[in-house]
Amino acid sequence: MDRRIFMRNGTLALFAAGIGGVPNFIAKAATTGNKCSKPFQKRKTLVCIFQRGAMDGLMAVSPYADPNLKMMRPTLYMSPAKTEGSMIDLNGYFALHPSLQAFAPLFQNKQLAIAHGVGSPNPTRSHFDAQDFMESATPFNKGTKSGWLNRAVGLMGKSTTPFSAVSLTNALPRSFYGSNEALAISNLNDFAIQMRGNLLAGKLAANSFEALYDNASSQLLQKTGKESFEAMKMLNVNNLKQYAPKAGIVYPNSALGNALKQIAVLIKMDVGLEVAFAESGGWDTHVNQGTENGILGRTLKDFSDSIATFWEDIAAHQDEVTVMTMTEFGRTVHQNGTGGTDHGRASCLFVLGNNVQGGKVYHQIKSLAKEDLEDQRDLPVSTDFRSVFSAVANTHLNIHQNNILFPDWNGNGIPIMRYS
Amino acid sequence: MMQQKKAGFLIILVLVLAAVVGFVDKDHTKSLQKFPYRQMGFTKEQAAAYLLNRFTFGSTPGQVDAVAKEGIEHWFYQQLAGKESDTSVNNLLQELHIDAPDLSLEDMVNTYPINGEVVALARKMGIIEKGDTSISKQAYREKLKAFMQQQGFKPIAELERQLIVQKIVRAAYSNNQLQEVLTDFWFNHFNVSLTKPVCTPYVLAFERDAIRPHVLDHFDALLLATAQHPAMLTYLDNAGSVSNNNPIEAKRLERLAQTLNNDNNTFKKRASEGLNENYAREVMELHTMGVDGGYTQQDVTTLAKILTGWSVYPLFKNGPAYQLIEKTTPQQLEKRGFVIQNGFLFRPNKHDEGPKTFLGKYFPANGGYQEGITALEMLAHQPATAKFISAELAKHFVSDTPSTALIQQMTQAFLKTNGSIKSMLITMVNSPEFWNPNNQHAKIKSPFALAISTIRATNAQVNMPYQIFNWCNKMGQKFYYYQAPTGFPDRADYWINTGSLLSRMNFGLAFASQKIPGININLPALNNNHEPESVDAALKIYSAILLPARDNTQNIQRISALIHDEDLNQKVVQAANQHNNYASIQEMDAKVSTHMVQPIQTSSPPPSLSQIVGVIIGSPEFQKK
Repeated sequence: MDRRIFMRNGTLALFAAGIGGVPNFIAKAATTGNKCSKPFQKRKTLVCIFQRGAMDGLMAVSPYADPNLKMMRPTLYMSPAKTEGSMIDLNGYFALHPSLQAFAPLFQNKQLAIAHGVGSPNPTRSHFDAQDFMESATPFNKGTKSGWLNRAVGLMGKSTTPFSAVSLTNALPRSFYGSNEALAISNLNDFAIQMRGNLLAGKLAANSFEALYDNASSQLLQKTGKESFEAMKMLNVNNLKQYAPKAGIVYPNSALGNALKQIAVLIKMDVGLEVAFAESGGWDTHVNQGTENGILGRTLKDFSDSIATFWEDIAAHQDEVTVMTMTEFGRTVHQNGTGGTDHGRASCLFVLGNNVQGGKVYHQIKSLAKEDLEDQRDLPVSTDFRSVFSAVANTHLNIHQNNILFPDWNGNGIPIMRYS
Repeated sequence: MMQQKKAGFLIILVLVLAAVVGFVDKDHTKSLQKFPYRQMGFTKEQAAAYLLNRFTFGSTPGQVDAVAKEGIEHWFYQQLAGKESDTSVNNLLQELHIDAPDLSLEDMVNTYPINGEVVALARKMGIIEKGDTSISKQAYREKLKAFMQQQGFKPIAELERQLIVQKIVRAAYSNNQLQEVLTDFWFNHFNVSLTKPVCTPYVLAFERDAIRPHVLDHFDALLLATAQHPAMLTYLDNAGSVSNNNPIEAKRLERLAQTLNNDNNTFKKRASEGLNENYAREVMELHTMGVDGGYTQQDVTTLAKILTGWSVYPLFKNGPAYQLIEKTTPQQLEKRGFVIQNGFLFRPNKHDEGPKTFLGKYFPANGGYQEGITALEMLAHQPATAKFISAELAKHFVSDTPSTALIQQMTQAFLKTNGSIKSMLITMVNSPEFWNPNNQHAKIKSPFALAISTIRATNAQVNMPYQIFNWCNKMGQKFYYYQAPTGFPDRADYWINTGSLLSRMNFGLAFASQKIPGININLPALNNNHEPESVDAALKIYSAILLPARDNTQNIQRISALIHDEDLNQKVVQAANQHNNYASIQEMDAKVSTHMVQPIQTSSPPPSLSQIVGVIIGSPEFQKK
């Protein structure tokens, strides 16, 4: 047994002494017959960030050299020219929005790759449906009960830690639906039964709740209750402070910044995290999205600063971690009449990690000429989102059953990752 | 088989008609057709508890028995009428200084202006400079604050707070509970959000003027009220959706082209069309027909064109648009085709006047304002809408997976009564499908419903309602702030997850031990001030008070066994003494309560009444309704 894990975890020690029974995840480890009786095996971690609302990929990573863009976006067009927004040129064709400055060094040292023209083959322009399809990863089947990340966790083999799949959100995201254990926590500090000023009463209350939920007639309450208590025992909120970011590493004070900060804690704590999930909002820029310092610029800055800070925070663990972003669709190539963009088709996503073949924009985009657009208005989807998801899952998480991960899909991954 | 079905349907129709007649004439309520609960295996008390769970935010102590005695049918129709006195609610709102709901929309906008408007006005008046970098952020804020005070403006956060507080107070204490439950339901169906600044000043008025008066109305009235409300017009961007395809606009463009003298670029910028599809899409997908309702992308674009010019009347008196429009009298505006209603403004010069085809219906050119009304009426009466709304109501009031038969019955009621929400609910409670025993306790309470049902079940006095909002946020429901137009997903697996479940348990403990500021409860009073003789008796008595008409035996046994496990208490103490890890836990408690740093007792005292009640509130049974 890995004593270290228990010693650094107060509540666990308490339970190891035989109070309140043996936590289920330890009991499970003991019955797996695994010779190495660590509660879990060390595995890689995939951090997924969903940009809800549909990011304008044409402004985030702009194909500025395509002359059509300037014509269709008279007031929103940007380029590396100082007079046109001082974008960060990537390869003479694409340029990063200046608010994504934090991504530039990661791109240069080839840890960050961009996939462009990415989206779903289902042409829905409904946020809800498109997110649903992307998270279930079955773009034409609404009936799929599970999310693709839950299936991914399942394929990685039975895990004995309650922390293999954690979403830093109030509610479980669609990506995490399914039969494998998954957690949703918006604040790790809340992860305890607390009776202020009365420790023994708190313990008794916790034990009472555990007994009641174990006996719950509703399956949902019973299963979730069990997961909650296992996780609570393992996390022990008293120890969280030890894993705070080092001095000088300051996350943006935003929902995404806070979520990534806590994901970093879980990674540093070594609790067996395999898939983490965070969300970022504010991408639905129908009105006045602005250029350098507008609404979209601010959202992009928070987005890239949060990710870059996270990457610095987990410097010692970078080999084990890959970050992948996603958004449900892109936005119209034309700007609309209110200084914004409406729901479109393809957008772009970012993949960050030491195993990434970075410093490159992967794409099959033809041009932005009207005849090359979908419905004569939108950047068409030239790369299926599953081509990127599968490349990351197959290599980083080392799971290869694409028929289970992405049912009804026979496509190939793009070479965005190095096979180790 | 078919004939049987038809006969069954006819019986239901007759039941419904009888019920409606009874409803119209209050004196006849005694002879009301009984809801079919007995044949479905419910006792009268169980039926009362089930109805109270579904159509209120939770029963108060003794209410189940009272409603069973009064007659559940009588109670239900009284709730449908919604005419119970609410003096205590009004008094409490007054005590809490909740005055914003009494303001007209215009006064609200001018009392609580959004920050952008304040800044623009301050600039215009020379109080602050554009891009003023010479002063610190702090000084800038101070300047603005002083300016707001001088102008008599109040911060918009105060308006948000009042909106939240009034919802909690009404839900907890109103005698017209069905109104409150339906207000919550329809607001979520037609969601708007405080996360969008331009929408924020209108949200309180939206609930008050567009939702509340229509919760039991015909569906088209509700749809139209939401469509024309500034909150919806700004939230889903229709307010800025405009067209050039219009004779008035064409003339203006002609003049503009002449003055610009072939400066093509400037012309393009100033003449650019501004179609915005956001509302047009969501009104079909989320408000009426449902995503599989059978419309196309072409229908979305066409509806957006039909609704061009549907905008918000500029109510902020210091804004430029207000001053512009006030130059013209309402009569002149009306003559020119403008339509003004409360905060709604139709701008004829921005409306697409071309011919259109929407959902297969041809709309000839120059349809003006009226074609928007026609299109929304069409949407309100689509069979797809009847079905979608029926399913939404059934999911909310019956179970996450209501039977197809029930949805069909409600759909028929919708189509036969021009979308009468009242008739749909009457059909629902008269259907045996509603009384399927599997539906009993099948719904998981939303965090809001959990918090309010706790207040009601304990007769709690809430003096700081905002604290309840903070807890709802912790439990996963920051109401009024749900960003997406879908509203909160109305199903158990959205609400219940590991993090939120622990928060629910902690809520129970904090509430019962009165650790939530402003909560006042008198637990002994719930039991006529009799002190229970033992822990077991307390468990039994308070389970029955908080969870009436349910079988609580097993749960009582489980907790009772734990409490009597002396061994367990010993183990906790021993382990704490053996392991220095305990110090860190103690430290945490010391932060909130210094008196905890003391020698550990060798046996723990029996749990207090508040602990027992806290455990019941956090228990799985109490999460269900």
